[in-house]
Amino acid sequence: MNDTTAGGDVRLVGISKTYGDSFTAVHPLDLTVPQGAFFALLGASGCGKTTTLRLIAGLEDPTTGSVFLGDRDVTGLPPYKRPVNTVFQSYALFPHLSIYENVAFGLRRRGIRSVKKQVGEMLDLVQLGDFASRRPHQLSGGQQQRVAVARALINHPRVLLLDEPLGALDLKLRRQMQLELQRIQTEVGITFVHVTHDQEEAMTMADTVAVMNGGRVEQLGAPAELYENPATTFVANFLGTSNLIAAEVTSVSGGEIAVTAANTRLRLPAARCATVPTAGGKLLVGIRPEKISLSYAGDTDDTDTDTDATATVSDGRNRITGTIAASSFLGVSTQYLIDTPVGPALEVYVQNIERDPRLTPGAPVTVHWSPDHTFGLDAAQDIGAGVATAAGSAGAAS
Amino acid sequence: MTPKAAPKAALKAAPKSLTGWFRRHIVAIAGLLTLAYLILPNIVVMVFSFNKPAGKFNYSWREFSTHAWEDPCGVADMCGSLALSLQIALWSTIGATVLGSMIAFALVRYRFRARGAINSLIFLPMAMPEVVMAASLLTLFLNLGAELGFWTVLIAHTMFCLSFVVVAVKARVLSMDPRLEEAARDLYAGPVQTFLRVTLPIAAPGIAAGALLAFALSFDDFIITNFNSGSTVTFPMFVWGSAQRGTPVQINVIGTAMFALAVLIVVAGQLISGRRKKSAPTG
Repeated sequence: MNDTTAGGDVRLVGISKTYGDSFTAVHPLDLTVPQGAFFALLGASGCGKTTTLRLIAGLEDPTTGSVFLGDRDVTGLPPYKRPVNTVFQSYALFPHLSIYENVAFGLRRRGIRSVKKQVGEMLDLVQLGDFASRRPHQLSGGQQQRVAVARALINHPRVLLLDEPLGALDLKLRRQMQLELQRIQTEVGITFVHVTHDQEEAMTMADTVAVMNGGRVEQLGAPAELYENPATTFVANFLGTSNLIAAEVTSVSGGEIAVTAANTRLRLPAARCATVPTAGGKLLVGIRPEKISLSYAGDTDDTDTDTDATATVSDGRNRITGTIAASSFLGVSTQYLIDTPVGPALEVYVQNIERDPRLTPGAPVTVHWSPDHTFGLDAAQDIGAGVATAAGSAGAAS
Repeated sequence: MTPKAAPKAALKAAPKSLTGWFRRHIVAIAGLLTLAYLILPNIVVMVFSFNKPAGKFNYSWREFSTHAWEDPCGVADMCGSLALSLQIALWSTIGATVLGSMIAFALVRYRFRARGAINSLIFLPMAMPEVVMAASLLTLFLNLGAELGFWTVLIAHTMFCLSFVVVAVKARVLSMDPRLEEAARDLYAGPVQTFLRVTLPIAAPGIAAGALLAFALSFDDFIITNFNSGSTVTFPMFVWGSAQRGTPVQINVIGTAMFALAVLIVVAGQLISGRRKKSAPTG
């Protein structure tokens, strides 16, 4: 199990899983997780991410396709013969064994006699050296989670699979464990495949994120890449929040696209379009709420006097007028919902640096942003995909 | 005024405080009374095991004696019937526990045809009046041409103990997280290792409860045994038979010994689990 000659990369080739005749949990999928990566499978519940993980672990048999670890085809191997270990969502610690024996379990099953040194080192790594003789139920959630990690890592698996390991922890502890897991991953250098429904967690921890929806991978890439250039409305809405505006393409010239929505002219770079737009066609224009600036309407219209230079909007920016429908104060920022001609409830996050007291519900405002921050999506998809599923985990302060 | 009022108040307070005391301790009183109700018959059995009755019947107290304890097998055939009862109880417990545990696991863990029907059918032996079941079993054995005796009693006991074991084990298996077994398989334990190291230890309390229940039910069963035993005599049948002619003190000795053994096992179990909890304090 410890031979390091073969790589720790995971390759899924045409893998799929169908239950019964009807329900397809995972559609045929090709996925490569490079060795040493911290890879996140992100999606709402029921999107097939846990099934994908269980296919790698061997706890589910694929309907089609193969699983490779390095160059070795492990598709037919039972879980106990795969050099892969799992941290389960509920931790699945053995309640009848002490923490020490829980951690030693994998070593003992492989016939290793002297486990004391390794178990001690592993418990120190997760800072639970003093808890060796306790039972799992005597530990807090965070401690149990660390035992689960230690129990898996002690076997030096090629790949560590984490099935929503932080789901049961409260927010503060979750943050702490995220850092802890990252520290352990850099320390041991094992490939981590992390399943989560929490987009913040995926972006914070992973170097590559695969966003899954309905048994398919919607988009795969580095967190910043996915966030800045979502390929589908689902990714745009699930990963953070996006304002999506249905617009009509008026011209495509050079690297720039001009569109109109409700008589408002907007521009965006062609390079940031996930589709090839044609003049006269439809396009979904997207802008992240934190990239939008908000000004009181009077300031921006009053171009003659120009008393407040910072409040004026340069001509190059996309701008829409509207009224504030609602605002909520979040400490570091304030979240506004703006009703505009192009659509209701445009979301805007404003950092609370200098708060304008006039920006209250009902106030007329101008929202404006740089065309470079605008992205374009194919209009032939559900504009609201991923909104409801992300609502629970979307946060303004990220 | 005041010196007169003081004793009056004290008089009034006395019954009041009595009802108050009663109110505060009503749960304890009810508990103690119930306990007495449960334990009194056992105490009578125990006390009369030290009796020296005048005639053949051990129904009235005469004088203290330990002669029955010194010679527990002094009554003809009694210890033979006791040994037989213990044997039948042991084998039917093993049979019912193994079969019942397997049924319980199958019912909880697997989906198969007629699972729902089996789930309710398994309760039938518990619901059926025992005397009816005894008679039907006899009919069955006679029609099959089976010779009544040790084997027919064993088969009958295993059968009616089965449903109790299933109920006890099922409750335990239902509360077991199937992910524990997945975790074991994930940690290099093959099917046999997973069963021995994880499944069995975790299900053990349920299985033990089922086994104890089966043993107790089999050991003191009279009705079904009486119908299906032929000329074989178990301990309950011996007691019943001897009660017609006189009750030897030794019956009380055996009863007391069984009771003491059961109490000992329970206390030992409590002590062991208590020490286990103490050795690893929570924190």
